Amino acid sequence: MTARADGWVMIAPLTAFLLLMLALPFAVDCIYAISRVSFETLRAPRIVGLQNFAIVLRDGEFWGAMLFSLRFALLVTAAEILLALALAIFLAPLLARFPWLMAPLLLPTMVAPALVGLMYRLVLHEFVGAVPYYFVLLTGDSPSFLGPDSAFWTLATIETLQWTPFALLILYTAYQSIPTEVREAAALDGPGPWQMLRLIELPLMRPALLAVGFIRFIDSFRVFDNVYTLTGAGAGGSTTTISIYIYEAFFRRNDIGVAVAASMILLAVAFALLTLVLRWSERPA
Amino acid sequence: MKTILAAALLALGAGGARADVTVLGWPGGPEEVALRATVEDYNKLPSVAADDKVKLIFFSRDNFWDKLQADLAAGTAEFDANLTATYAVGRYAPFMEPIDLPASAHAAFSDGVLKTMQFEGKQYGVPTDLSLHFMYYRSDLIAKLLSDPAWKAKYTEIAQAKLGKALVPKDPDQWNWDDYAATALFFTKSINPDSPTRYGTVLQMKNLLFNMMVWHSTARSYGGNWEDTSGAITVDGPGYRAGLELYKKLYDAGTSPKDSLSYEYAEANAAFGSGQAATMLQWNAAFGDLDNAEKTPAVAGKIGTVAPPAGPDGRFTHIHGLGLGLNASSKHKAGAIKFLDWLASPEAMTIYAKAGGSPALQPDIVATLAKDRPDLVKLGTFAGQYGFVMNGATSAKALQIYELQAKEFTGYWAGTETEDAALKATATGMAALLKK
Repeated sequence: MTARADGWVMIAPLTAFLLLMLALPFAVDCIYAISRVSFETLRAPRIVGLQNFAIVLRDGEFWGAMLFSLRFALLVTAAEILLALALAIFLAPLLARFPWLMAPLLLPTMVAPALVGLMYRLVLHEFVGAVPYYFVLLTGDSPSFLGPDSAFWTLATIETLQWTPFALLILYTAYQSIPTEVREAAALDGPGPWQMLRLIELPLMRPALLAVGFIRFIDSFRVFDNVYTLTGAGAGGSTTTISIYIYEAFFRRNDIGVAVAASMILLAVAFALLTLVLRWSERPA
Repeated sequence: MKTILAAALLALGAGGARADVTVLGWPGGPEEVALRATVEDYNKLPSVAADDKVKLIFFSRDNFWDKLQADLAAGTAEFDANLTATYAVGRYAPFMEPIDLPASAHAAFSDGVLKTMQFEGKQYGVPTDLSLHFMYYRSDLIAKLLSDPAWKAKYTEIAQAKLGKALVPKDPDQWNWDDYAATALFFTKSINPDSPTRYGTVLQMKNLLFNMMVWHSTARSYGGNWEDTSGAITVDGPGYRAGLELYKKLYDAGTSPKDSLSYEYAEANAAFGSGQAATMLQWNAAFGDLDNAEKTPAVAGKIGTVAPPAGPDGRFTHIHGLGLGLNASSKHKAGAIKFLDWLASPEAMTIYAKAGGSPALQPDIVATLAKDRPDLVKLGTFAGQYGFVMNGATSAKALQIYELQAKEFTGYWAGTETEDAALKATATGMAALLKK
């Protein structure tokens, strides 16, 4: 067998796996996206052209969900990056001396998001939760954590608390990998700590910042589990993320074609965003 | 070696031939406990062949109905009989097979109860459990309210100030919705600093279809319905408005916890069980845990239950049934039908009820169970006297309609939508759903 044939043989299992697990479902999705299809007609979709896309794009709830997800993702990504950057810099000496400390710091990321949602349903419950208990103890009253005015901020806080350690891990690694000689050379010009951070360290960390920003933005934009278990779609649909919109169209409204069309739009947005970020990260520092 | 291989193949073949009847039940509650006990007895019957023994499986409760929908649509044969419910009979009917129950089923269930498992005149399940609503109240607090002159005077003062009516305390079994509202206001600390509870009631207002069922008991008593007898959609009417406004008034007045807009069954039970809410409109299934001194010591032994308060059109409680029916894709239909036929008998339902299930049974069977399950007497009485199903609420799109109402009405309660807009959107959405 030639080396070329060996290569084909070696890559065949992975190719078959990708075709089966990605290409085939994607092809089915492409058909469903242009079909009128429900659970009753899964095997006999009726082609309707771009009608589903038109329904989605004209649906105020879709745009409401997109706006919620965008606000949520921007806020959460910014908060996580800022917090993680601050922690990476302040904890750097400690983590350099005791590297094992990173393990307990990463614990929140190991909990399934759905469980995080369920956990906070308990933690924030006015009568059984620890947080309201101490509020009542100290102030005589407990605020509404999941009411219509506060649900967004509570959800964003929970998401930030869970995923900041992930950003910390990447940014700390990037911060640590800045060569000592670079810092020493810069120090000869006598910059203050802020100048060192702004002019030397942050530009060198840009690829890591962009990577973590992109991953966390996409992840929080398509958030589902913890929001769904905590507030569901929210009062009047006020906490409907784009993933919840798709889920409800699929399972609750039985409009599978519309749900798949909405997820195709989401895929296109994510793809465009990824292309932009990649181009930006390739620019010289 | 050949002998060993042959024996192994024989054993494998025998294993393959033994096809148990697999039943998918409702997990994690008294229904599961009852079904396990009933199946255990069924499997011991000498008339049940080894191939027809029943095996139980359970999903998680979270999004149970969506998972069931996906499995049924995929044509799964992993279970032969599965759960269905009054509000979902139409949704699952395309994937299930109607059953003809034996005459013994009529000895166990009334026609009305059997109808909770029917769609387009066909029987799709055995009605194993009936759910309805109780008005739960703190009997110790209400007893004091009915006897303490100072509390009575304060109650009337609050009712006059907040509701514009000089009401006097009444026995909960005589309440109309004004009496309930006045009691909720009286037992709210922010309104009456002498109240022993923080809140007068606890409302379940999360955007969730089951919460709509609870609220429907209020709306129906004010004359609200999904459709009139001619099939015209009637939600945008005075009955629905009165019910919506009552909830909004109570929530805005602070009689229910601030996070009530994220409350469902468990949260409401936790609030009432903490001893910090005086009343609660809740499913009958909650009583067992709330009255259990080990689980809820703060209120156990101090709980009264009556049917929901009366409105101008009378006193009503939403009812729906859970039941087990036949999966159309089952590979073992004969065995599954045999089990379902037996399950619909008085004998099986007696076992089921004694083990903790909540079937609505014929009065003569309930009489034999009254000592073990006094709550079943109340269940049967309330279902018979006050039970209702909204017109159209067993249609194929019923679940979507519940979802639609939940979204729109929680928007009104949260203040993000006007009542007019919510009702108009509901009526329009319902028309579209029922037209498809």
